[in-house]
Amino acid sequence: MLTGSKTTFKVRQLVPDMKERMLSHSSFHTRGRDVLGLCCLPGECVLQRAVLVRKKLSVKEGSGWLSGTLFCTHFRVAFVPQDSQRPDDNADPVLLGDHDVALASIDKVVAVGPSRTKLVTPNGSLKFTPEELVLYCRDLRVFCFLFDRLTPDAQAMEITYTIAKTYQPLKPGTLLSFQNSALGSIEMKQFLSNRRRDPNMNWFECSADWEQELERAGATGWRVSSVNDRFEMSTSLPRFTVVPHRVLDTELKKTFAHFNDGRIPRWCWRHPRGSDLLRMASFQNNIYHEKDDIRNLELVLFGGQQMCVIVDLGEEMPSPADIQVAHTRLRTLCLGDISSSVSVPDDKWLSTLESTRWLDYIRCFLRKAAEVACLLRGGHMTVVLQESEDRDMNCVVSSLVQVMCDPHCRTVAGFQSLVQKEWITAGHKFLSRINYHRDCDKEEAPVFLLFLDCVWQLWSQYPTRFQLTEEYLLALHDSVQLPLFSSFLANSQRERCRRSQHLPQSYTPVNGLRELPMGEPEEPVDPPFPPVWDWALQYSSSRRARFTQPVSQAACIPPVLNGNLNTNLERSWHSDGLPGSVFLLSRSSFSNPSNLLPWRSGNSGSYWKSHRRAPSSEGLSGLERLIRACSLSDPSENTTTLHDPFEPLLPLLIGPCVRVWRGCYLRGALHPQAFSHPMSSCSQHPLDQLAFEVQELGEKLAQASVRHPEHQTRQQEPRRLESNLNQNANNGTFLFSSRSSQHQPPASRGSTRPTNLTRAPWTASEPPRSAQRISGKHTFLFGHQQESQSVQRYIPSPSAKYPKHAGNTH
Amino acid sequence: MASAPIAPYSSSPLGNSSSQHTSRESLKMEPLAGFVSLPGEERIIDKDIIYMCPFNGALKGKVFITNYRLYFKSTDTETPVTLNVPLGVISRIEKMGGATSRGENSYGLDITCKDMRNLRFALKQEGHSRRDIFDILFKYAFPLSHGMQLFAFLSQEKYEENGWNVYEPMEEFRRQGLPNNEWRVTFINKSYELCDTYPTILVVPYKAPDEDLRRVGTFRSRCRIPVLSWFHKQNHAVITRCSQPLVGMSGKRNKDDERYLDLIREANGTTKLTIYDARPNVNAVANKATGGGYEGEDAYQNAELVFLDIHNIHVMRESLKKLKDIVYPNVEESHWLSSLESTHWLEHIKLVLSGAIQVADKVSSGYSVMVHCSDGWDRTAQLTSLSMLMLDSYYRTLRGFQVLLEKEWISFGHKFASRIGHGDKNHADQDRSPIFLQFIDCVWQMTKQFPTAFEFNERLLVVILDHLYSCRFGTFLYNCESARDSNDVRTKTVSLWSLINSDTSSYTNPFYTPESSRVLYPVASMRHLELWVNYYIRWNPRIQHQQQSPVEQRYKELLALRDQYLKKLEELQLTDSAPSSTHLTNSSTPNAATPNQHITHLQTPF
Repeated sequence: MLTGSKTTFKVRQLVPDMKERMLSHSSFHTRGRDVLGLCCLPGECVLQRAVLVRKKLSVKEGSGWLSGTLFCTHFRVAFVPQDSQRPDDNADPVLLGDHDVALASIDKVVAVGPSRTKLVTPNGSLKFTPEELVLYCRDLRVFCFLFDRLTPDAQAMEITYTIAKTYQPLKPGTLLSFQNSALGSIEMKQFLSNRRRDPNMNWFECSADWEQELERAGATGWRVSSVNDRFEMSTSLPRFTVVPHRVLDTELKKTFAHFNDGRIPRWCWRHPRGSDLLRMASFQNNIYHEKDDIRNLELVLFGGQQMCVIVDLGEEMPSPADIQVAHTRLRTLCLGDISSSVSVPDDKWLSTLESTRWLDYIRCFLRKAAEVACLLRGGHMTVVLQESEDRDMNCVVSSLVQVMCDPHCRTVAGFQSLVQKEWITAGHKFLSRINYHRDCDKEEAPVFLLFLDCVWQLWSQYPTRFQLTEEYLLALHDSVQLPLFSSFLANSQRERCRRSQHLPQSYTPVNGLRELPMGEPEEPVDPPFPPVWDWALQYSSSRRARFTQPVSQAACIPPVLNGNLNTNLERSWHSDGLPGSVFLLSRSSFSNPSNLLPWRSGNSGSYWKSHRRAPSSEGLSGLERLIRACSLSDPSENTTTLHDPFEPLLPLLIGPCVRVWRGCYLRGALHPQAFSHPMSSCSQHPLDQLAFEVQELGEKLAQASVRHPEHQTRQQEPRRLESNLNQNANNGTFLFSSRSSQHQPPASRGSTRPTNLTRAPWTASEPPRSAQRISGKHTFLFGHQQESQSVQRYIPSPSAKYPKHAGNTH
Repeated sequence: MASAPIAPYSSSPLGNSSSQHTSRESLKMEPLAGFVSLPGEERIIDKDIIYMCPFNGALKGKVFITNYRLYFKSTDTETPVTLNVPLGVISRIEKMGGATSRGENSYGLDITCKDMRNLRFALKQEGHSRRDIFDILFKYAFPLSHGMQLFAFLSQEKYEENGWNVYEPMEEFRRQGLPNNEWRVTFINKSYELCDTYPTILVVPYKAPDEDLRRVGTFRSRCRIPVLSWFHKQNHAVITRCSQPLVGMSGKRNKDDERYLDLIREANGTTKLTIYDARPNVNAVANKATGGGYEGEDAYQNAELVFLDIHNIHVMRESLKKLKDIVYPNVEESHWLSSLESTHWLEHIKLVLSGAIQVADKVSSGYSVMVHCSDGWDRTAQLTSLSMLMLDSYYRTLRGFQVLLEKEWISFGHKFASRIGHGDKNHADQDRSPIFLQFIDCVWQMTKQFPTAFEFNERLLVVILDHLYSCRFGTFLYNCESARDSNDVRTKTVSLWSLINSDTSSYTNPFYTPESSRVLYPVASMRHLELWVNYYIRWNPRIQHQQQSPVEQRYKELLALRDQYLKKLEELQLTDSAPSSTHLTNSSTPNAATPNQHITHLQTPF
């Protein structure tokens, strides 16, 4: 066994045996020991290694085989390619190299011998020398290592045994030792405590964060309440909740008792057209004594709006157990039955895939979210998602709705904020659902993974409307299986807070939690867990660069102010909603059952004394029209989605459009042979060439029209040409320009070339918007993602909002 | 790959170069007058009619019928719906309902199309209102059945490029490094004496004299003797193609044929010739009853025979019919996958692809192969052309792909006329089969798996399929070269490649990165094959033509921008020329050329 010293982070090698020495002399003479250099984490121990191993590369990596050395440590199986660059000793530690896999991610270890295949269990023995080692991971990746004939047999045997013994069929004890091997060393703790959080995203941990969100969404009439600051009102809710302005904290406190686990209706998001999205648990304790009680409940539900639609997610949506079953079937289907190496025959693949029901469930959530998104478009109402516990389906639907409607949520920072808001602080039971400890099998359900799949579906239907990429979704998908992140290692914000403080639950410092020192010295048990969003800790910079699109939102045109569409829609239903109406949306249709709001049913409540009138049923048809108008069948809506950034991305749900996420689930299956073309240097990329021509033309146009001094369009593409097209995808997957390539803001560029481009006569004759659009295109001819610009684009300033009541004549 | 920017309402697959960037929006702007007619196109009849759109319900409007197309435009001004259907696409026209049938819109026409859609029109019941339109449609949709000419012979279109020059057999063989001392060019078929369905120029083993070829011809179905399709420059292995041997029930042998196959094998000095029989084993056996069969082990000692299990044209036709049922007009949600599976369409695609992979693999490992099915013009063409596409990167260029089609499909006598039924009213003809469509689908599958390996984009494939039916170009007309010659197709019609090559940038894949040496082996597994939604389901307005990647989108935008600039420049200089021409010349740099020069400069570079 080898021990990595804590100070150098380098592997100290055993004296190599004779055979090995021969090898290193013959083939690696010049490079010597660096060939084997694994950059260990502080405190990481190498348990075993094997030389002359080849790793099978996936499509994205360019296929083929890569030679190098295989290591097994307490924390991971690492693979160091032969000609990889010498790791920089001073660089910040990265948990996993590009070719590594954490032990905790491994699901099964299979050794392939000359004539047979064996599933290697921790206690099992091998009767043959493996030629190939296959690691099946919980995140559905498959790592395949091939031992060379020159790999010492003992090494091949030993490393297989070691991995099989050390990898985690996770149990409480092993989990902790795994966590400690990764993060437990003093250096690592120190390092982690000095990490800075990503300031670009919203963490939703203090009231200012929520205030910021309210402002971003332009939501008025709502305030942040800290009534649950010490988790006294509800143990699973976050410390801060957003509630209507008009409800005082003292009044609010009384409402908690009426909801399961105290999960009262809380504000999630406001649609630019003025509707609010809320979520809550089911009603309970249906005894309403006081008039005030009811008044408060009504206030909390309606916000300042006139109408309320409750969307019941309990019945229609698949249960967590259903999701778990479907996911298990999908896994088996995609990976095949490993131990017997039998897989579904190819000609039955489609129907077997269908029978997993996974895609049905995906469709179900997408449909529900699309309905809610359409509803929100109508304006003037609260849409309240209701689920008995408010901790699973509500998370999926509320966040999907926001991904569909809010372009900000399609950026990396925005998406992370969204997950933070609707999942992590909202109390999705990550710890139980992922079942890291293997102690709550009944609760296990990959609800979050299902959500990621839904987002992927949207992404694959509208790739240009997202700043984040499939690569990002995959990274997040894989990180879920790694029990190292505070984000996933708790069931609620309360648990998270307690762990990070080691303080009794009732005590909360006045200044909030952030100021507290990390980790109490007397508690060596848990290492400090970083949030999953600290990507630099997990992935190399080259992989992180692929998290965002190089060319983003080129087609996105600034929002149409008060386009025709608004007025149309609003007129279509708005006349019939009486103030105070409440409806239930269930199975794509609306109703208003009398017991929808328990306090309104029967005669016991005092509600009707003040508000007595016949329940409105005319509102129904209007709402249904609203849903139908945009629900997926009306093609005329599709045309508008291309132009208005706030039009929801409505997913297509017909058969061929909801697809299996091949890039994720079939990573381990047979791959198409990838085609890594070297970019031929002599011939220009067609895109390049075209851009050049357009630019030339534009200049000529400018010159031709130089006498008109007010011309404003500017040519900005020329300098980007060279830097940009080397991004041409090797695999054709994507073109990732280096983020670092400098792009000067247009203003400064303008000053360097002040000569040209005055307004051409033709633009003068056109409405100004089209001119703007054209110049907008120019800036994106070869768009690098410009941070400043993208921020502006994604976060609409309040002034860019729709006039909320525009066109509404009622 | 690019998706064709096809507007969902105008079911116009045939945008000519000026209207190809038509967005949905601009379509709405289109004046009610309708379409831009082609040179040579003549209006026959207009009529008020109701289009029973399966997606939008009944739509009142007007239909125009010309000698080339059926064009419908709804009168609803808010969301006008247009249909633009070349008459060649129509496979069947039926009257539905009678003058007395009840129910709204029950009296009219039902039109079945070859491109995965059906059209239904309703007319007023009084006064036999459909008689004239039915007769005219029937006549012009099936001109050959009425002693009339196909539109390709009436078209007056002119293009900068002449597509008939794309394929010169000698040039193509020279590119492959032929003739050489193993393979020679023979003109034995120059007036189609040896085989009337083969091209005039054939490449055969150097050691096989012409007399032998004739004798081999007697033993091969329709005299389609084994000839060379492709030559591997490095290992000298070849792909040859032919029809089945006439073995028959009695198990006949032919010494000349046996020796000839040996000559093919010997040409690059390998020990075994691999014969790929595309059919399932049982079908090959069954063919013995009609005089055909396969190469027996005893007779061909140095050959190994492999059956590729690809089914015949009838099976493919039925499979596509089932596919059409599930994609038009309605597409299922939850049982989609099992329905798709039950059509077996993707399974057939898989078998064709995996057959081609075996061929390509064998050749790249140095062994010559011979491919045949029954007659050697359907499955054989699929296999040879696909394996050539895998082996030779030239065929993955825009130009090379045209050469490949001209060579393996058109010149070697894939029976386009019979398989498609151009201008023929007999819709139930058992000879019709979507073999070529299936091949294009396989190509599309490859472009999906190797997005950077092809110079052309999805749009090209769609346009090829559209004009496979449209009869606007001469390219896919007739069954073989000899028929094309006798009908003067080359002189009297325009080639599809004229259209394509006059506007190459619309068909260019911006991801393309040329590389020569790699053999592409796609994965032929149901797990990685996909249904070509943008073709089969393109009439469904819910299918948004799949969004392109940002780079591709940018490419499209640049193209549009370029056109726009060109136009503006032209306008500018027109308006400028009179009052201030001096000003312009002063301000332009020396390289500022006139717009005309621009245009020519800009259209060449790809």
